[in-house]
Amino acid sequence: MEMKFVPSICSYCGTGCGVLFEVLDGELVGTLPMKTHPVNHGKLCIKGWNLHEHINSPLRLKNPLLKTFGRFTKVDWDKAMDVTADRLKAVIAAHGPDSVGVLVSAKMTNEENYLAQKFARAAIGTNNVDHCARL
Amino acid sequence: MTLKRMTFLQHLLTFMGLEGRLHLEWISSAEAQKFVATVTGFTETIRRLGPSPLRIAASRQADDATMSPMPQSGCLDLPKTDAVPETGVQIANG
Amino acid sequence: MSAMTPIQEQVHQWLEEERVDIFLAYRIVEGHPLPYAFTREHIEETGELVTGPARYSLEKFATHIASRYPDARIGMVARDCNQRALNVLRVWNQLKEGQVETVSVNCCPSDLRAHADCSYLERRPVGVVKQQLGQVPNQAVADVDAQPSAERFDRWMYEFQKCIKCYGCRNICPVCFCNECSLEHAELIGTGHLPPDIPIFHLVRAVHMAGRCIDCGLCEDACPAEIPLRLLYRKVNAIVKDLFEYETGSGDTLPPFSILGPKPTMSPTPLLAVAQE
Repeated sequence: MEMKFVPSICSYCGTGCGVLFEVLDGELVGTLPMKTHPVNHGKLCIKGWNLHEHINSPLRLKNPLLKTFGRFTKVDWDKAMDVTADRLKAVIAAHGPDSVGVLVSAKMTNEENYLAQKFARAAIGTNNVDHCARL
Repeated sequence: MTLKRMTFLQHLLTFMGLEGRLHLEWISSAEAQKFVATVTGFTETIRRLGPSPLRIAASRQADDATMSPMPQSGCLDLPKTDAVPETGVQIANG
Repeated sequence: MSAMTPIQEQVHQWLEEERVDIFLAYRIVEGHPLPYAFTREHIEETGELVTGPARYSLEKFATHIASRYPDARIGMVARDCNQRALNVLRVWNQLKEGQVETVSVNCCPSDLRAHADCSYLERRPVGVVKQQLGQVPNQAVADVDAQPSAERFDRWMYEFQKCIKCYGCRNICPVCFCNECSLEHAELIGTGHLPPDIPIFHLVRAVHMAGRCIDCGLCEDACPAEIPLRLLYRKVNAIVKDLFEYETGSGDTLPPFSILGPKPTMSPTPLLAVAQE
């Protein structure tokens, strides 16, 4: 039996509310507003309150899926990377880097989002980057 | 249980400013006259109370997309500066 | 292990003696007083235990532990509101009798208990507009009762239409534990618009708080729209007390509206007297 309370920042928008994750046996079971956080003073919106829900969702994608002939098939990471890289290269070669856009998510960490935009700008060479929490 | 809940609810609605609009009566199927008297009496009561303030509030809300934060019946005099979330606002996605 | 406070020593001893398996209290983490679970494995951490100043619903965490480990013995620091919540949770079978051991700490004032000296929980002053309207923090139920009915209606409709339906009041509530909540029932409360159906949303919650709200004030603290929920639920409990002589939080019996449990309680005598008038 192990219970932890992990302070963090809500990732759903740029406000930066302090949240407290309730972790029981390594499983995230709840989100609370941080009472003493200077941004939100112990308050949250409905999205912040449900921050933990997608983590343990059974609908989460756990494997890369490749769409061939209109159907998704499970593939391993190497295969998925190869296909993605080949297709991106082909598209960029044919239509230029601005034909590619990168959409990132509030359900990833800040660091992953940073890497994704870096990938778009440095590797692909486009500024077409967007995020659902761009307020 | 019904009696408990209804009595409680009458008190709660009174606190909300909606008193007199909830009535509970036990009437047997053999008591037609009591039924008539109760329904007629309560209809009269409701008519005397006038339209429900909730209905008025709802229509006010429908008329004015940015529903006034000001209570309208003149008891409170609130300037509009008090920050109130606009009605119908969707929370930004993210 | 030098210079431990009496509470720290007691917790240390409880963990050592295996009187409790886990002890819920607070600890300063990154400058914030946060809830913290002290265990026997890391018993040296008890030297950093603090009892405040922030206030979280430790008993709610205890119910989460208890639902996974029904035999766990849980210790926690308890203000009076925590204690009342524990009573209610025990009555509602969310915690077993004697499952939670408490160390009492000082607390904030409440209508249900006068004793208090927690300065952290002094209410922030209300804004200028509310001051002009005479709406003081911790307004007394009797003062609101004395207002004209139309004024009360306007006041509550004004307060309710600020609601952004974050469900924070329900989520933070120590005595809200239902798996299925009426507030999320689409046929009871319409979905997809803001503010939510008023006053239904708030009254449904108020009805469910009758005989259950332990007046901890966490809902009002958590409300982003500053709706005076504590006032509403105080009134609800005052009604329950007047009608049924039921003392919420005392933890003796199930509340008067409960039809569950082994013994149906609350004789209807005082009510029948009302009905026959």
